[in-house]
Amino acid sequence: MKGLSIPTDKHVLVGMGTADDAGVYQVSPDLALIQTVDFFTPIVDDPYDFGRIAAANALSDVYAMGGVPKTAMNLVAFPLGKMDPKVLRDILAGGLHVLEKSGTVLLGGHSIEDDELKYGLSVTGFVHPDKILANQGLRPGDDLILTKPLGTGIMNTAVKAGLASSEQIRDITELMAALNREAAAVMTGFPVTACTDVTGFGLLGHLAEMIAGTRVGVTVFSDKVPLISGVLEFAGMGMVPGGAFRNRKFRENMVSTASRVSPVLRDILFDPQTSGGLLMGCPQDHSQALLDALYRQGVADAAVIGRVTDTGPGMMAIEY
Amino acid sequence: MTTDINARGLACPQPVLTAKQAVDQDHPARLMVRVDNEAAVENVSRFLGTRGYETTSSGQGDDFTVTAVLAQGSTAEKNGKTEPAPAVSGADSQDIQQKILVFIATDRMGFGDDELGKKLMISFVKTLGEMGDDLWRLVFVNNGVKLTITGSPVLETLQEYERQGFSILVCGTCLSHFDLLEQKQVGDTTNMLDIVTSLQLAQKVIQP
Repeated sequence: MKGLSIPTDKHVLVGMGTADDAGVYQVSPDLALIQTVDFFTPIVDDPYDFGRIAAANALSDVYAMGGVPKTAMNLVAFPLGKMDPKVLRDILAGGLHVLEKSGTVLLGGHSIEDDELKYGLSVTGFVHPDKILANQGLRPGDDLILTKPLGTGIMNTAVKAGLASSEQIRDITELMAALNREAAAVMTGFPVTACTDVTGFGLLGHLAEMIAGTRVGVTVFSDKVPLISGVLEFAGMGMVPGGAFRNRKFRENMVSTASRVSPVLRDILFDPQTSGGLLMGCPQDHSQALLDALYRQGVADAAVIGRVTDTGPGMMAIEY
Repeated sequence: MTTDINARGLACPQPVLTAKQAVDQDHPARLMVRVDNEAAVENVSRFLGTRGYETTSSGQGDDFTVTAVLAQGSTAEKNGKTEPAPAVSGADSQDIQQKILVFIATDRMGFGDDELGKKLMISFVKTLGEMGDDLWRLVFVNNGVKLTITGSPVLETLQEYERQGFSILVCGTCLSHFDLLEQKQVGDTTNMLDIVTSLQLAQKVIQP
């Protein structure tokens, strides 16, 4: 988009200027629209599961802005003639199942014929203009809380390699299809300072966006980061996707890593996530209560994974 | 016997699986795997490491070769039940007993004349290689980090030291302070915990 003129007006509260999860547009003093769109090629074999995951992933951007999703439209690219139409039906059914769980209505959609199957959704949500949670806004002393364990990129690579057990495949499928709805609902009851969802850039890539150009830095307690069971083993045997490597190369100037942090663990911190958890900052004196509330709502993997500091602005120090 | 594998053009995780197949079938004592990206270099090296091989890699652009030799006392049959990599990297283990750490906190040597001081520091860094294998690690802090950035008169020397296997740590807080994060061209960006640990592990610390 570099060099292009972006139309805008005074009602744009969050636009193209920042690396935020979604755009926000104010319609009245107490209502703003959150708009986001996301689609991708299949990441699991089962069409219904792919639909669920794509929907959870698209909805997540609304949750990450502190909002509630309201309406959605399907986006479909389908190889007609090459693939059984039942596949598409199952994908859409999976998507609808998750939309229903999130309380979001489907208003329509658009499909095209394409060589490669793709599915996703455009989602619109509501938020009070004063309650928007942007990526940036972390303050020194905040605890960093992550709500889902890391490692879907590595696990999916292991699945492709035929090394993951059926139990592991089932677990990561459920993890990716899990909505960030409960985490977002809990979060809005606390003085959270900033939030994003962890997706393609990995934990450290998205954390980098939260602090780039700001006066704060972060310390990440790498041993406290929740990990998907089995991910250390698979990363250790070379199942790290190229995306993790690119994420690391892109942000390595912002990272200082203690030598006790193994290269395997460091790669997991950069592993691209599909439908990852929310990553939020919360003042320390509220973080335990926030965690307890998350656990009560069933967000069992949530953990404090780091601290915002006023030393080393723009830097991520990885401790162990 | 060396087993040659061409895994170029294969998307991950195929290069690792190709190497795995060769190891499982032939248990070669020596193995060369050609790949076309750095991620595959790391993944293949890591996999072979879990199977008892010592690996080195070379190449650039889109042509890399991982060379693996079965380490003494290992057998390729050993099933790689992987541990997360050791908590302390190889350079930090017991073989550092004779190791010297050079702690560089400024870009000039001594007081009096800064012009002279800068020349002396350049000469000092370029001569450090004479320590040979006794040199273990160089740590750059404060104004010293300016020796590791684009345009530094000792940049090539430091890059050569790094290629030779000497460890170079550069203080991230310092780079950030001078707004030089993007300009750093050599060494690993690090933090105070790592620096303190390094000072503790070193057998001798020299501060010019």
